[in-house]
Amino acid sequence: MQRLYVVCVGALASAIMFAWLLPASTAAQNPAPAGSKDLSAVGSAKAETANAWTPSRTPWGDPDLQGVWRYEATMPLERPRELAGKATLTDEEVARRDALEKEQEAKRLAGVEGVDVGRQPLSQSPIRGNEYNSFWQDHGRPRKVYNRTALIVEPRDGRLPFTPDAQKAEARSAARYGVGPYESYLDPDTGERCLTDGVTALMWQGPNGGHNRIVQSPGYVTILHEEYRDRRVIPVDGRPHGSIRQWFGDAVARWDGNTLVVDTINFADKTHYEWANIWTRPSETLHLMERFTRTDADTIDYEITVEDPTTFSKPWKAVIPITKLPDKTEIYEYACHEGNYAMANLLSGARAERGGR
Amino acid sequence: MRSGLKGAMVMVAVGAVIAIAVLRLGVTPTAGRADAYTAPRTADGKPDLNGVWQALNTANYDVQAHPARPAMALQPAPPRTGPPGLGRATPSDLPAAPVRALGAVGGVPAGKGVVEGNEIPYQPWAAAKKKENSDNWLTRDPEIKCYLPGVPRATYMPYPFEILQSTDKILIAYEFAGATRTIHMEESGSSPSDTWMGWSRGHWEGDTLVVDVTSFNDQTWFDRAGNFHSDALHVIERYTPVSQYHLMYEATIEDPKVFTRPWKISMPLYRRFEKDAALLEYKCVEFVEELLYGQLGIRDPGAAQTHK
Repeated sequence: MQRLYVVCVGALASAIMFAWLLPASTAAQNPAPAGSKDLSAVGSAKAETANAWTPSRTPWGDPDLQGVWRYEATMPLERPRELAGKATLTDEEVARRDALEKEQEAKRLAGVEGVDVGRQPLSQSPIRGNEYNSFWQDHGRPRKVYNRTALIVEPRDGRLPFTPDAQKAEARSAARYGVGPYESYLDPDTGERCLTDGVTALMWQGPNGGHNRIVQSPGYVTILHEEYRDRRVIPVDGRPHGSIRQWFGDAVARWDGNTLVVDTINFADKTHYEWANIWTRPSETLHLMERFTRTDADTIDYEITVEDPTTFSKPWKAVIPITKLPDKTEIYEYACHEGNYAMANLLSGARAERGGR
Repeated sequence: MRSGLKGAMVMVAVGAVIAIAVLRLGVTPTAGRADAYTAPRTADGKPDLNGVWQALNTANYDVQAHPARPAMALQPAPPRTGPPGLGRATPSDLPAAPVRALGAVGGVPAGKGVVEGNEIPYQPWAAAKKKENSDNWLTRDPEIKCYLPGVPRATYMPYPFEILQSTDKILIAYEFAGATRTIHMEESGSSPSDTWMGWSRGHWEGDTLVVDVTSFNDQTWFDRAGNFHSDALHVIERYTPVSQYHLMYEATIEDPKVFTRPWKISMPLYRRFEKDAALLEYKCVEFVEELLYGQLGIRDPGAAQTHK
């Protein structure tokens, strides 16, 4: 996703301002970012005390998932190639990464920016989000270091099981990114067009830190994703799936004990568009299962199972810890399309470049 | 005899049911009678406004009273060939060329308007700008560009919206452009920037949800007729349940940079109570890219041709 930032500067101007403001206010409200809560994540695998903690209830009796949530850990979606076969880090490796996070955070809070913080080029960075331009998604407090080396737990190798065609599409997409061609508005990816980055990615990653507000009302769970102002109003009232295909499909949900289980089908086929990451694109064969389990006051265990023979040779599953932000945290208006000056500039730039040859 | 009595009792019972139904539902919902109805309560004791709602009027064309006409975008007919009624018949204003193909679909239905007193108290310069906006509707209306619709316009666009009522937050989710407002029912700080949809603080006055909306930019309109505001806009909305199926909606509009005094609109909102009523997607950005960007690129996907 970090590839997105360079091109979307104009489009995201107002939202980016918020991205800067938010971490600052978050840090102010949480003056002990390196406190025991963060340390508790160190060395722990997926929380195994899920049943030990009883979530509070809404006034009408549903488990309460409400608040503003964000992914704050350092695990990448896929296991890095150099860690092939290594599902977990050693305690020493975890401690070293945790120290790096805290060291860099201190520098960020002191106003240091760019490479002076200790960030590295993408190819050399040991942790996702530590790249040179990752200030776009600065969290304002140290991220949590877990000992798992990937969010993907199935397949066991921690890698996306792309079909051969999807693998080619991903390679093509990566080669195009920031390079072009940009001959028309169809050439930028869906994020640069202010459409979406895809429903599978929204809960836990995004160009400005991936803030999400969950609001519950009787029979509904609504998720407001700050990015692209994407929104899912999910009925939890036993209704069946409808028949209309949409970008975000057709979600119905139920409670399984304290777990919200969301079942989404009827996605529209958007594979003919450019995507920043092929794995986030919906096709008509996509079947997304999501499980939201609040394992303590500040954590949702977010589990996604993605089945889509158009893009993947077999289903894959990721277990993603999502962190609750302080109560007063807000999400803000994301008027991306309304300010998408980048689109016009990108297209006129491409024309100028063509003319100059 | 017995069956006759039974029949009479049934008729009385039916009559009573009808009378109750008329009392509860058949009464014309007016603001003055709002206190006759008490809304059901949520689990935490607040009036329950949850549901999918929609306006049924022509305010999105023009919040003021207006007759029907052939199109929003008109162009003058060719000059008459003689005095009216004495020369040959000539057309009245015609739909502008870009919308002519729409025929009756592009026509504007008449409406009695939703503005109290029907007057919008523009300052003189602003009245001139409103006319200019109207004359340039096709290129200026933010609705055409799929921009966030603003408040109160989002309420009476021809799309449903859904009230999702939690305890300290109430969401209003609009189908158009996927816009969502968060109504802060608790102390919420303030907006760090001007916005399209405003910053909304809510409280209850009896059964009425009162929402105070500030921090607007100057980009949204009130309707397709070019009625507009500045970044000094301040809207106070009132949502009052008047039956199980109706809300009365009022919005008081203040903007000292544009108007000489506050003015008010009001209208009923109707519950969408069909089975499984729900908002659907209207992600219109991809619907307007060809319009906004088609001719800017090296290739125009709509024209399937390469520009030099």
